[in-house]
Amino acid sequence: MAPDPQSSSGLAADVRVLLRDTRVRLGLTVGPSVIWLALLLLAPLTFVVTVSFLQVNDAYQVVWQHASLANYQALFAGDGPFWTTSFFRSLVLSYKIAATTTIVCLALAFPMAYLLATHSGRVFKIVIFLVLLPFFTMYLVRAYSWYLMFGPHGVINATLLNLGITDSPLALFGYGQGAVVVGLVHAYFPYMLLSLYASLDGVDFTLVEAARDLGAGKIGALKDVVIPLTLPGIISGALFVFVPSLGAFVTPRFLAQGKIQMIGQLIEERINTLYAIDYGSAASMFIVLTIVVLFLLAFRYVSIEDLGGI
Amino acid sequence: MAERTRGQYALYAVAVLTLVFLWAPLLVMIFLSFATNSSTVFPFEGFTLSNYAQTLADTGLLTAVFHSVEIATIAAAIATVLGVLGAFGLARIDFRLKEFYRTFGILPMVVPGVVLGMALLIYFRTIIGVTTGFWTVVATHSLYGLPFVLLPVTARLYSFDRSLEEAARDLGSGTLATFAEVTLPIIGPSVAAGFMFAWIRSFEDFIRVYFVKGTFDVLTTAMYSMIKYGSAPEMNAISSLLVFAIAVLLAVAMVGGDVTGYVAGSEDGE
Repeated sequence: MAPDPQSSSGLAADVRVLLRDTRVRLGLTVGPSVIWLALLLLAPLTFVVTVSFLQVNDAYQVVWQHASLANYQALFAGDGPFWTTSFFRSLVLSYKIAATTTIVCLALAFPMAYLLATHSGRVFKIVIFLVLLPFFTMYLVRAYSWYLMFGPHGVINATLLNLGITDSPLALFGYGQGAVVVGLVHAYFPYMLLSLYASLDGVDFTLVEAARDLGAGKIGALKDVVIPLTLPGIISGALFVFVPSLGAFVTPRFLAQGKIQMIGQLIEERINTLYAIDYGSAASMFIVLTIVVLFLLAFRYVSIEDLGGI
Repeated sequence: MAERTRGQYALYAVAVLTLVFLWAPLLVMIFLSFATNSSTVFPFEGFTLSNYAQTLADTGLLTAVFHSVEIATIAAAIATVLGVLGAFGLARIDFRLKEFYRTFGILPMVVPGVVLGMALLIYFRTIIGVTTGFWTVVATHSLYGLPFVLLPVTARLYSFDRSLEEAARDLGSGTLATFAEVTLPIIGPSVAAGFMFAWIRSFEDFIRVYFVKGTFDVLTTAMYSMIKYGSAPEMNAISSLLVFAIAVLLAVAMVGGDVTGYVAGSEDGE
C-alpha cells in the first residue's frame, strides 16, 4: 500500500519493516480498543447474561451451577396473573412512555429541521446555538429544571394560581406520566433534530417544488418525496430517542415522584437496595433484547454509518 | 402562494414554540437562582447573590466538581488515544470482522446507562472483586467515551484525500514528518471534537457513575442528593453556573470551528 520508504539504517528501518505486516499494524491500531471493549463491555455483558440464569447466595456470591430460568419466572411471578406484576407493568409503561416521547420529538423536530436545512447565515447560527446550548447542558440539570416547573407547588401551577386562572393546582401540571414525557422530550429532542437535519441537509428541495409543480398536493409531496429521502434520519433519530427513553432513570425519578415506576428505576432499586443482581440481570435482558431487535430492524433501512452520526 | 406563506408561518410558529419549550425551564431556573425565595416564583421577594455565595463556599460540592473534572479529563484522554488508533485501523486497514469491530465500538454509547452501569457494577464487585471508586469510574467513562472519538475521527479519515500524504512523501518527507505536518493538522479538529464530546459525556453522566462510584461523590451524584434532599438554593446556583459556562464555551467553539458539522455528523469533506 504505502510507497517504498527511503532506505535508512537501524531502528527506524526495523520499525518500518515491522509496520508492513498487517497484523502488527492491526495490533497497534485496533488492538488497544479491542482489549478495552473486551474487558469492559463484552465481558460484563456476558456475565450479565450468565448471571440472569444463575442464583445468588446470602453472601451476594454467584452460585456457578444449576442454571435455570428461575429469575425469569420470578419476574412474572406474583400474587395475581403475570400482567399485574411490577416488572410487567414497568416494562409496558416504559415502552409506552418511550414511544410517546419518540413521536412527540419527531413532530416537534421536523419543522425546525426543515427550517434549518433551508436557511443559512446568521439566523441559522443563532437557532443552532439556542438548540445546542440546552443539548450540552447537563442532563440532570434539565431534568431538575422541569422538576421546578411541575408539581402542585411548581412554577406552572404557582403562576396559574397567582394569575387567578385556576384556584387549585391542576393535576395536568403535577408530577406523573405527563411530566416524565415532557422531561424526556426535552432531554432527547436534540438527537432527533440533529438526525433529521443531517438527512434534510442533503435533500434537493427543488425536488419538492418539482413534485408540487407536477400536481402533487402538500401531503403528497411530503409523503412521496420528503419522507423517503429523510427516512434514514427519521429512523436513526427515533432510535436515539427511544432507546435512552426506555432505560430512563433520573427523569422518572424526579418527574414522577413515585407515582410510576419505569423499568430503569425498577432495576436500579433492586440492585442498589437489595443487590439482587440475579433479578436485575434478568430484567435488563428485556431492555437489551429490545435494543437488539430495534437495531436489526433499523439496519434494513440505514447503514451503521448513518446511525453513527451522533 | 398565499397558502404556501401560511404554511411557512405555521412552520416558524412551531419552531419558535419549540425553542420556548427548550428554554423556558432553564430560564426559570436561572431566575430562581438569583431570587431570595429560591423554590418557586411566587411570592417574589427580590434578588440576591447569596445563593451563589453559599454554593461557592460549599467545599464538599467543590471537591465533587474537582473529581468530575479529573475523571472526565483522564477518561477522555484514554478514550481519545484508543479511539484515534482504532479510527486509523478502521479507515486504513482491511481486516475480517471489521463490521463487528465497528458495531462493538459504537455499543458503549448505545447501551442504556442503567444496563451498562449495572453490568459494570456486577463485573467489578462480584466477578473480579475490586472495590468500586475513582478508578472504576474512570474505566467506565473511558469505555463510554470511546465511540464519541472513534466516530468523528473515522469519518474524517474516510473523507481525507490521501494523495496529500503521498505528495508529502514524494516531496521527500519522512513517515513521521508526514504524519505531523499533513495528517495531524487535517484530523486534528475531529480529534479535538471527539475529546470534547467524550469529556462532556463523562462530566454530565449520572447513572453510570451512580452504580460504579463506591462511596465518593462527583458533581452529578452530589447534585442528585441536593435534589433528593431539597436544597434548591445551591442546586439552582450550581446549575445556572453550568449553563453560563457552557454558553461561553459553546459560543467560542462555534466561532472557532464547525461545531454543527460534528454534532450533526455531516462534516464537509475537502
